[in-house]
Amino acid sequence: MIDIGVGVSLEKNEIAASEEAVRQAKSRKASKEKIDLVLTFSTADFSSVALIKHLNTFLGDVPIFGSNSSALITEKGIFNHGLVVMLIGFPEGVYFNTAYTKTNEFATSTAAGEDLGEKLLYGFQNVSRTLSFLLFDRMEESGAQFMTGLQSKLGRSFPCIGASISNPALAGRDSLFFNTTILNNACIGILWGGKFNFGLGLKHGWKPLGKPHTITQAYDNIIVSIDDQPAIGIYEEYLNYDISRLKKEFKKLSILYPFGMRVPGQQEYLLRNVTSIGDDGSLVCRGNVQTGSSVRLMISTKETCLEATREALNEAKTHLASQSYRFHKNDSSKMAIIFNSFPRAVSLRREIKKELELIRETLDPETPIIGVYTHGELAPLLSTSYHGQAYFQNQTISILIIEA
Amino acid sequence: MFDFLMMILGLASFAGCIALAIVLVLKIGQVSQLETSVNNLKYTLDEMDEQAKLVVRTDIELNKTQEELDKKVNGLYTLQKLTRSISSTLDETQIFGKIEQELVENLGFEKAAAFLRNEFTGNYIFYLELNYAEEELEAIRQFVQAQSDAFHQMINNEKGMSSVSPQVDRQLREQIKKTFKVISFVISPILPKEGNKGFLFVGSTDPDLIINEGDEELMNILANQIGQALENARLFEKTWQAHQELEKRVEERTRELSVALEEVKRISQRKNDFVSNVSHELRTPLTSIKGYASILLSGKLGAIPEEVHKRLEKINKHSDELVSFVNDLLDIARIESGRITLKLVPLNVRNVVEEVADLLAVQMKEKQIAFRLDVDAALPEVLADYGQIKRVCINLINNAVKYTPGGTITVRAAQKNSRVQIDIADTGCGIPEDAVNNLFVEFYRVDSTINQEVKGTGLGLAMVKHIIEAHKGTIWVKSSAGAGSTFSFTLPVAQ
Repeated sequence: MIDIGVGVSLEKNEIAASEEAVRQAKSRKASKEKIDLVLTFSTADFSSVALIKHLNTFLGDVPIFGSNSSALITEKGIFNHGLVVMLIGFPEGVYFNTAYTKTNEFATSTAAGEDLGEKLLYGFQNVSRTLSFLLFDRMEESGAQFMTGLQSKLGRSFPCIGASISNPALAGRDSLFFNTTILNNACIGILWGGKFNFGLGLKHGWKPLGKPHTITQAYDNIIVSIDDQPAIGIYEEYLNYDISRLKKEFKKLSILYPFGMRVPGQQEYLLRNVTSIGDDGSLVCRGNVQTGSSVRLMISTKETCLEATREALNEAKTHLASQSYRFHKNDSSKMAIIFNSFPRAVSLRREIKKELELIRETLDPETPIIGVYTHGELAPLLSTSYHGQAYFQNQTISILIIEA
Repeated sequence: MFDFLMMILGLASFAGCIALAIVLVLKIGQVSQLETSVNNLKYTLDEMDEQAKLVVRTDIELNKTQEELDKKVNGLYTLQKLTRSISSTLDETQIFGKIEQELVENLGFEKAAAFLRNEFTGNYIFYLELNYAEEELEAIRQFVQAQSDAFHQMINNEKGMSSVSPQVDRQLREQIKKTFKVISFVISPILPKEGNKGFLFVGSTDPDLIINEGDEELMNILANQIGQALENARLFEKTWQAHQELEKRVEERTRELSVALEEVKRISQRKNDFVSNVSHELRTPLTSIKGYASILLSGKLGAIPEEVHKRLEKINKHSDELVSFVNDLLDIARIESGRITLKLVPLNVRNVVEEVADLLAVQMKEKQIAFRLDVDAALPEVLADYGQIKRVCINLINNAVKYTPGGTITVRAAQKNSRVQIDIADTGCGIPEDAVNNLFVEFYRVDSTINQEVKGTGLGLAMVKHIIEAHKGTIWVKSSAGAGSTFSFTLPVAQ
């Protein structure tokens, strides 16, 4: 059975927050001594260096894995200031390894992916690999190549789930936490294997609008033209805004009306936020795009977003139920990790509390929850029909339930 | 044969051509139909696309409205929370402490500062700073001081400014942004009616934040609330100080009164001692005078002329009156000083009153006064000193006789809870209303024609009052001129 304790602190300074969150988490754990892994997320107003230093002081020599973010998701609520710590003690038969790579230290993103893959595989020679879990920053353009490199080492037989913490509004204050280190331009990962089950569900809730268009020229994460016209034209046409007004309000408009790309063989559209507009009318997206893709403008309502959360939860539960290990109800416990896209919060506004209520109602009441608001989510489009491909997605809620 | 075959072939070809032509015509029709369908479909798709554009545009408007509404609701909710919070303190320094980072963020800003201007020195003093480093604060303080005229003008005009206010000098606006390290801001004057005034600053580093009139209004309301809270705090401080001053004065007066009371008690005691001593000193020669007068009257020293006899009788009578007067004075002094010991025993009121009525029967008969006694047979006994209560009854009934030229004197006694109330009512001349309150004061006599004829010392009722109060009873009178009087007193029921 996984022995989990979660602590949340809203204290203002790093020492007090670390002390309170760790004390709470330990008090909720059956064994205060056996801590195999620490998942932690903080808001970016804390000093990451001070926070990690104090967490290490209070926790001792245990692997720490996490990041800062715009806001935290906890059982107690959603906070735009605070620290959440999840102390995990795994039962026998569950294996994991943590590693990181500095993506800017490699000539190509593929090489960086290969590096992380190799490091994660350390100690996994005779253990079946089941799930990889990543947190990264600044990989909007090169995520696909990175995944190619990673999967070339780890294999494609199991899914990979992850999230980008790159928040342009934080202006460089976003950081990844890895043991005693603060990382930027990096990817940190956990490779899991052994006797445990997991269920993964993800959805966005945006629906296609208008007729399909074709990306006629694109590279990396930039759409140059759509239907042989400058890509910006599609927004000018649909929104009836001139380019100066578009540039002014684009961040919000792009969240409300992202692009949806049709993926062959998949029902769900892959969403792409536009992060900026080029002088030539090209659109810079959060994530890769391909020439020839069919794209549509997408629209959502609060109801469709909440419905997507409900569907993601059901998908995660269905996926979990389909897993191979059969635990007796009293011999296992669950934990849930949530990556919720920050733009969804912008779209849901005050309904974000409803979304958390929905998550709490749908999951078992005793399942501890930890999560963050992210800026790009990495996961298969549909977990129940995984075909070896992980997609970098936008505006999605990813729910991972782990049972052991 | 060949020709025939050729002809058959020709016919067949012809028929085939006709058939092909028919098929072609049919296919062309179908193609045309399909083309029409495709065109219709394309037209429908275009129409739907146009509708999609309308949907997007409407959705944008709805989103904007919703956003504005959310912002307002959130702002008002936060404002209400803040208002409640700052109104909960009456300490001027604590008011600004109630404005917390989280609340400022809920209003859509990250940084805040507040200054109050010292009326006398003209210096601006920090009362609030949120999300600023020490060195930033120093720079802000210097800037505000350097631009004090501009801020003072804003306070005097009672009109705030923001990063989008058209009336604000562009250079000043940019300087504020730079010094306060924000991209957008709102400044609202804090205007309590009295005392130091100032301003509240809120700002944001979010490049996407668009300040609008709603933000300015919201901050003006908050600044007003702060002004009001400052006013309340200052008023409270004033009231508290006035209260403290009053308390101090009351304390002083109480102390003065206590001293005066002690002095009065001391003087009263001296008066009692004096009266007591003088009375004793008077009684000795009086006894001698009365004794000598009695010897002379008895004729033991020889016969005395009629005129001398008359004078001696007057001496004797006046001596008796003087002795009675001195005795009354001595009794009052004794009761007042607590030197008298009451012998409390169960008494039958009826018996006491009947005894007194017997004593005064001659006088009543002479003045044709009817005496009525109305006492319930089941009236419980009272706990009292027989001699003293008899004296009270003699005094009161004798007074009734004195001031009733003919009529009725009624004595009633009834139980009232744990007390027995005795009323002595007459149908006499009554007492003027303005005299009633002084009736039990020593040496007081009503200024009336009848009193010029009826002799008295003004000590009787005072002594009665002292006796009744020594029994833990009360005495009062109801009377009006010409309508008789009723003297009532209470005594405790004997358990």
